[in-house]
Amino acid sequence: MKRKLLILSLISLTIVAFRFIDNPLIVLPKIFPKPVYDFSKNPLSENKIKLGRALFYDPILSRNNMISCASCHSQFSAFTHVDHALSHGIEDKIGFRNSTTLMNLAWQSSFMRDGAINHLDMQALAPISNPVEMDESMIHVVSKLQSNQLYTKLFYKAFGDSVITGEHTLKAISQFMLTLVSCNSKYDSVMRKQTSFTEQENNGYKLFKKNCASCHNEPLFTNDEFRNNGLSLDTSLNDYGRYRVTKNPSDSLKFKVPTLRNIEFSYPYMHDGRFKKLSQVMNHYTNEVIKSKYLSPELDKSIVLSSNEKVDIIAFLLTLTDKSFLFNPQYFYPKEIFLESAKD
Amino acid sequence: MKKTYKLIFISLFFINTSGFAQTNTLKINITPTFGAMVLQLADSLFNANDSTQLQVDVLKFYISKVQLLNDGKIVLEEKNSYHLIDASELKSVLLPIENKENIHFDELQFDLGLDSTTNVSGAMGGDLDPTKGMYWTWQSGFINFKLEGKSKLCKTRNSEFQFHLGGYQQPNYCIQTLRFQITNSNVINLKLDLKKILQQIDLAKTNHIMSPCLEAVLLSKIVANSLTVIEN
Ligand code: HEC
Ligand code: HEC
Repeated sequence: MKRKLLILSLISLTIVAFRFIDNPLIVLPKIFPKPVYDFSKNPLSENKIKLGRALFYDPILSRNNMISCASCHSQFSAFTHVDHALSHGIEDKIGFRNSTTLMNLAWQSSFMRDGAINHLDMQALAPISNPVEMDESMIHVVSKLQSNQLYTKLFYKAFGDSVITGEHTLKAISQFMLTLVSCNSKYDSVMRKQTSFTEQENNGYKLFKKNCASCHNEPLFTNDEFRNNGLSLDTSLNDYGRYRVTKNPSDSLKFKVPTLRNIEFSYPYMHDGRFKKLSQVMNHYTNEVIKSKYLSPELDKSIVLSSNEKVDIIAFLLTLTDKSFLFNPQYFYPKEIFLESAKD
Repeated sequence: MKKTYKLIFISLFFINTSGFAQTNTLKINITPTFGAMVLQLADSLFNANDSTQLQVDVLKFYISKVQLLNDGKIVLEEKNSYHLIDASELKSVLLPIENKENIHFDELQFDLGLDSTTNVSGAMGGDLDPTKGMYWTWQSGFINFKLEGKSKLCKTRNSEFQFHLGGYQQPNYCIQTLRFQITNSNVINLKLDLKKILQQIDLAKTNHIMSPCLEAVLLSKIVANSLTVIEN
């Protein structure tokens, strides 16, 4: 009797464990570390992801119902605001920073270039209430959603409750963002021994590991930390990065080390989008690094690279492009969801 | 076979959640006052420092981790203990005392504000829901205590003052743990005396705290000291 119970509970435990590792709703690549996001507090479900996807693409989250998350985070550029050095928000107001890419967010411990946001769930509050982004309030967003039949339906399906709350709204948006996993670039195939680098890519990979991987380390191509990478201060913005959050002088001009996955399509680069091309980034690291007191020690010794070597590193960086991510239909504008509502 | 287990599980679940065994409830009332008067929001003006008139528009704050103690030992700990006290819709904090009809206690303890774990735990519901307006949007963290109003002393737009106190990281950690001697009864009455708070602030100089800082910690201590038991 007791034994049966034990076996029963063991079986159910393994089912739970198995589900987590092999959750079909999100890929957790074998070579990635353990995610930071606590899925047990917001268990993924198809209907919640679907709701989150609708919310992500719906301008209803903004004051004038014209700006959606996707306005500044578009899929084909790995969910950044392509071609804008500083992002544009409501009524074309210009933001303070270059929009970030959105991918592999489950492995990130803080958000924004200065880490001002401590949890993925809370991220959406920032653009929603920013007067130059969406200029809305969470309480008003919830009341707009509540009076919209599509959303009472979607929330009911997702949470078993058609009473809409801020918590559920944020958790659903997180769910969609958590599914944005990029792990199928050529680099990944090489790591899985399904293909191999060209000679040039391979040389670039070696140089990358020597000069860049101390901050942009594999497999996520970021160490999830804040570093001063020697950029000069743009005095029209006076953006001191991490210092804005901690008020600690040693954090001056430190920014979140960004991932380099899909870097081919996420231009322009850096927190203020100052570089349009990867070749400019390479020239920064070899020639323009400002040796200030708080420069990250990894860059104390100048990086020396010939122009051929720079081209090789760029060739390697292009192997981080993941077309199956950039064109994954599961992340597209959810026409079918919005059409469904137009029909009835 | 399977069915019996299911049944047992289901009935266990109900005993746990239905409050079946709950026999008693302890009521904690926190009444905002201004000196001897009960606070009226927005529509009334108080005479603060004799000469200055003052109006309070918003008063909201969190208490959390409510506990009862006897002889210094915890005898009751509320689970999921988060309460937003809002002067615009005052409600009692109801503490279910399950299975403990004969409980004895001589002290009440709770935190004014929220601890750092709560601050980094993502989106939560109920009194912690982000629609409650008690969460900073541009930089993560809860606002523990919100006090907004007007005073002639403030040389600001519309003579407004705004205190949003919070911060969950040292040295700006604002949470305050409070302990009160109480008598064993079903109702505990506390008051938060705003007069006491505002008399300790020079409104002409300090009228705007909107992010975690040392001043916010200092003011949180003043608020904590202005919360007292109403003797019966
Ligand atoms: C007006 C443009 C704009 C809109 C609209 C916008 N964002 Fe952003 N987003 C940005 C910018 C700019 C940043 C980087 C800001 C910074 O670092 O200070 C950013 C950063 C982020 C990050 C942090 C990523 C990281 O790696 O740290 C996430 C997540 C995010 N946005 C999600 C959203 C969601 C969800 C929405 C919709 C609710 C949204 N954004 C709407 C411009 C926008
Ligand atoms: C000391 C740590 C460090 C090292 C070493 C380093 N980087 Fe960076 N990298 C950063 C930081 C921090 C940023 C973000 C700066 C910002 O936002 O302004 C960055 C940004 C970038 C970007 C722009 C990413 C984007 O999305 O905007 C590229 C590309 C890049 N680095 C490539 C490289 C290459 C190639 C190397 C080696 C030659 C290298 N990095 C070495 C810290 C480092």
